[in-house]
Amino acid sequence: MNGYYFGQGRARWSPYLLLIPGILIYFLIAMGPSLATTIYSFTNATGIRGAPIQWVGLDNYREFLFMGQASLDNIAALGRTLVFCFFVTTIQFSLGLLVATLVNQRLKGTNFFRTLFFMPVILGAVIQGLIWSLFLYPLGGPMAKILEFFGTSSEFFGGQPSEAFAWVIAVQIWANMGTTMIIFISGLQTIPSDMYEAAKIDGASSWQVFKNVTWPLLTPSVNTNLLLNIIGSLQAWQLFLVLLGYRNGTQVLGYLIYATGFGQTSGSVTSSFRQGYAAAASIILFLLVLVLGLTAQTLLARREKRILG
Amino acid sequence: MRKTILFSIAALVIFSMLLSACGSSDKPAPAGATEAPAAGQKVTLKVLVHQNPPMVEFIEAFNKKFTEKNPNIAIDLAVVNANDLSTVTQTRLTANDVDVVDIFGFANAAQPYMKNVDPPNWQTLIQAGYLMDISDQAFIKNYDEATIKDAGSYDGKVYAINLGRVSYSGIYYNKDMFTANNVKVPTTWGELVTACETFAAAGTPCMTAGGKDGWPIFVGAYGLTGALYPDQSALVEGLWTGSIKWNDAKALEMWEKMKVYAQTMMEAGASGIAGDAAPGRFASGAVAMFPGGTWYASAIEAAEPTFEWGYIPFPGSDNAEDNKYLFGKYDQGWAVAAKTPNKDAAMLYLTEFSEAANYQAFANAVGFIPTQATATLDTQIGKEVAPYLANFRVGYEQYWVAPKGSGQYANPFASYFKPFGTYDSAQELADKVQADLQSGLDANK
Amino acid sequence: MSTLTTTKSPAIIGGTKHNKVNWAKILSYAVLIIFAIIYAGPLLMLVNTAFKTLPSFMKDAVSITDSLNFKNFVDAWNKANFPRYLTNTLIYTVSATLVYLLTAVFVAFPIARGYVKHANWILTMFVIALFLPPALIPQFQLMLGLGLYNNPVGYIMLFLTNPIGIVILVNYIKSVPKELDEAAALDGCSYFRFVLSVVFPLIQPAIATVAVLHAIGIWNELILPTIYLTSQEYYPITRGMIVFQGVYGSNWPTLAAAVLIMVLPMLLFFLLLQRYIISGLTQGAVKG
Repeated sequence: MNGYYFGQGRARWSPYLLLIPGILIYFLIAMGPSLATTIYSFTNATGIRGAPIQWVGLDNYREFLFMGQASLDNIAALGRTLVFCFFVTTIQFSLGLLVATLVNQRLKGTNFFRTLFFMPVILGAVIQGLIWSLFLYPLGGPMAKILEFFGTSSEFFGGQPSEAFAWVIAVQIWANMGTTMIIFISGLQTIPSDMYEAAKIDGASSWQVFKNVTWPLLTPSVNTNLLLNIIGSLQAWQLFLVLLGYRNGTQVLGYLIYATGFGQTSGSVTSSFRQGYAAAASIILFLLVLVLGLTAQTLLARREKRILG
Repeated sequence: MRKTILFSIAALVIFSMLLSACGSSDKPAPAGATEAPAAGQKVTLKVLVHQNPPMVEFIEAFNKKFTEKNPNIAIDLAVVNANDLSTVTQTRLTANDVDVVDIFGFANAAQPYMKNVDPPNWQTLIQAGYLMDISDQAFIKNYDEATIKDAGSYDGKVYAINLGRVSYSGIYYNKDMFTANNVKVPTTWGELVTACETFAAAGTPCMTAGGKDGWPIFVGAYGLTGALYPDQSALVEGLWTGSIKWNDAKALEMWEKMKVYAQTMMEAGASGIAGDAAPGRFASGAVAMFPGGTWYASAIEAAEPTFEWGYIPFPGSDNAEDNKYLFGKYDQGWAVAAKTPNKDAAMLYLTEFSEAANYQAFANAVGFIPTQATATLDTQIGKEVAPYLANFRVGYEQYWVAPKGSGQYANPFASYFKPFGTYDSAQELADKVQADLQSGLDANK
Repeated sequence: MSTLTTTKSPAIIGGTKHNKVNWAKILSYAVLIIFAIIYAGPLLMLVNTAFKTLPSFMKDAVSITDSLNFKNFVDAWNKANFPRYLTNTLIYTVSATLVYLLTAVFVAFPIARGYVKHANWILTMFVIALFLPPALIPQFQLMLGLGLYNNPVGYIMLFLTNPIGIVILVNYIKSVPKELDEAAALDGCSYFRFVLSVVFPLIQPAIATVAVLHAIGIWNELILPTIYLTSQEYYPITRGMIVFQGVYGSNWPTLAAAVLIMVLPMLLFFLLLQRYIISGLTQGAVKG
């Protein structure tokens, strides 16, 4: 399985040599600073060069997880993060898959649909937030009018925490479905059309075709999407910033970390430079993502081996 | 395909070389070079400010005049979002890539009675040696003593000149609407309640604010807190030492009044109004009153130039004498990078900026309450606050530092009440707020 | 090359009866149109805002505009200094994306094939990079120490790594048959030439997908240029748009117009690359 065909001896080094630039840059730009963050998390570093730094061991972690009511708020945020991840991942994944298969049929206007669904990704989080703030304007906005038509109403982002949270979930799914979709679309391209032909000839219904041909062969894209979805939703914070701001009862971990790093936690209105504490908070989120992400990756890899051999 | 790739790589490499050639000519000057430029030598003064359109407009015009007067000094003005100012100040000072920085009035310092709190960002910068000591500069005498002492000093030395105060504890009111409904401008809480009832009966919503953004609601009620606790620095100390609790009898009075404010006075639907839409809504005559800070004045005037409005302190107390204070904060100011290579140019810039005529123009443009004794309040908002200026006090927000571990409810925020928050009962909220605060106090004993 | 266009659509359409085909098609269209409304509606708010005048927006943010205020676009173009800053953004995006794609395929390919030892560990390392916390200040200190502060090359370097792309590429390359490698090697093709001239074209959909996602990230980035590019001549367009943002309120109509202009190149890029995203795997390559 692991046979290399392109030569022996010196020629065998080609893959390694060509891999090195990518790895080096990765270490420099990504790994390096993250390792520094890890080290910072055990200190009371301010992040200002020249300011004194002391080793404080696990104090920052203790503060985040165990100190007073604030830690209970943090753990509540952790819980919310998991809820957010669950709903966003399941719904976004399913909708992305649905839309990708529909759009893959080469119906008329496919290009238009594809582009339309991908537009939010092109626009970025701040604009997505602006758009939805307008669309969900409580006093006479479009969605308000639609809900009125159906006899209900909603306070959208100004409402009670769970209501506002639900709307953020909806916007997050809307915003990122496009990415899931194009990854599935490119995955669907790897399925040779003669497999569909063969199934059709055998008299399979469309659902059976999907279950026995499409779904197994889509495994790589399924894995990619599940992984990216889970991780992305665990780390999400930008829409929370733009749509909700600092509202009690709605924060997720990603947002808390952003707020801590930029000094916006409710300690005081003048931010303090607390690089060490912010680093500890982000390592905690990292560990959460690590556990869930690696578990997902392992299970998915095992499944892939089972299905595709 | 391969040829295209190779070509792109080549183009890319050439691109980068060109760019880095352009880039290296702009490397920041080496730290420590503090010699005055020889007369005639070109100097670029780097100034960093946060985004605030009328302020940026003014400074651009001022910079133009300054450059005309001093042709050997070019000014590079960088504008960033207010939220990013702290971070960018930190990175640019570290990289020695800035000469004059916009910095907010020194606030939230760690007081002796506070245990285990972190110093505010300005203090860390000073202690790390990034802000220049300007105690011996002549221009600081243009500013009144309180400003220099309260907003720009640390450990006996002066590090920043503050350019203006804002008040956040007042209420804008619609003069025509008051006359039409025969309502007296309220000077006590009782009168405010009656006024709102009158308006409600007439079918007009009493108050509006940018509920969607959250903070306009609780900032709008800062006056309520202030009326009941006029000495806000003592309030903060009392909270820390335990002599004041957020659920004692006096605080309960505050919470009860906040409930009325949030649920009865504020218009239904205020939770959906964006912060920057509120002044326009008030100016359009949709509501009678608009609790907010003095910074909204220019937005109101821009929305409706002929609109007649007034500004009064939020009458939170039943005693008219208690309601004559305006609470607020020191807003932006200038500081100088300690390691700047252009010290003389920076001082010249600040000297010119601090000249009475220039400063007056600035204060007018931005709508600040001036921090120079010689400046007058020529704007409409200036005239409205003038009677209360002698009673200007720095507010709770500028003193408060929460003990580590306190919950997120440990603040006197009216926005905790429904419909903006989740609480309906004043007693329940009061207990929750105190519990959240107590949790932090206990964690740091 | 592509053999997909002549066959009737896969997946949903099963059966050969005439009515069955119609129902499935109608259902598909119905679902797509519902989604289209959900997407177009909010997007139209942006367009609507871009055509409003500021006073009309302040008065009522969600009403339909009564005039087509093209002036917003002119203002946006001039005030935000589009020509200069858009060029910068273009340079950063194009160079970073090209270099990244090149290095990424040479990282993803051997991992997917197992041609390097511990390929799985390397992949896991990149996957872990997805989880990594933001490290703004340490990264800043590193770049400052390397002398890459306020330097376009340094700025571009920040975008030469992207674990999402690696994950997408690795998973996609796995669907390219390994027999191809063997065949090419037997023909005397070197590893480098094989990847460059055979693999790259074969994984077009994945490369196009990664290119689009990566480019959009760079195009819309605001925090990094705020910190790293302090000379105005280096500003990307996201920095230029700050002129429309206020402290207590922004000039939303002009900002919306500026956004629409800014989005255009990325939209065109996506339209261009759509072809490649949907282009198929050359089934002929293995059979031939």
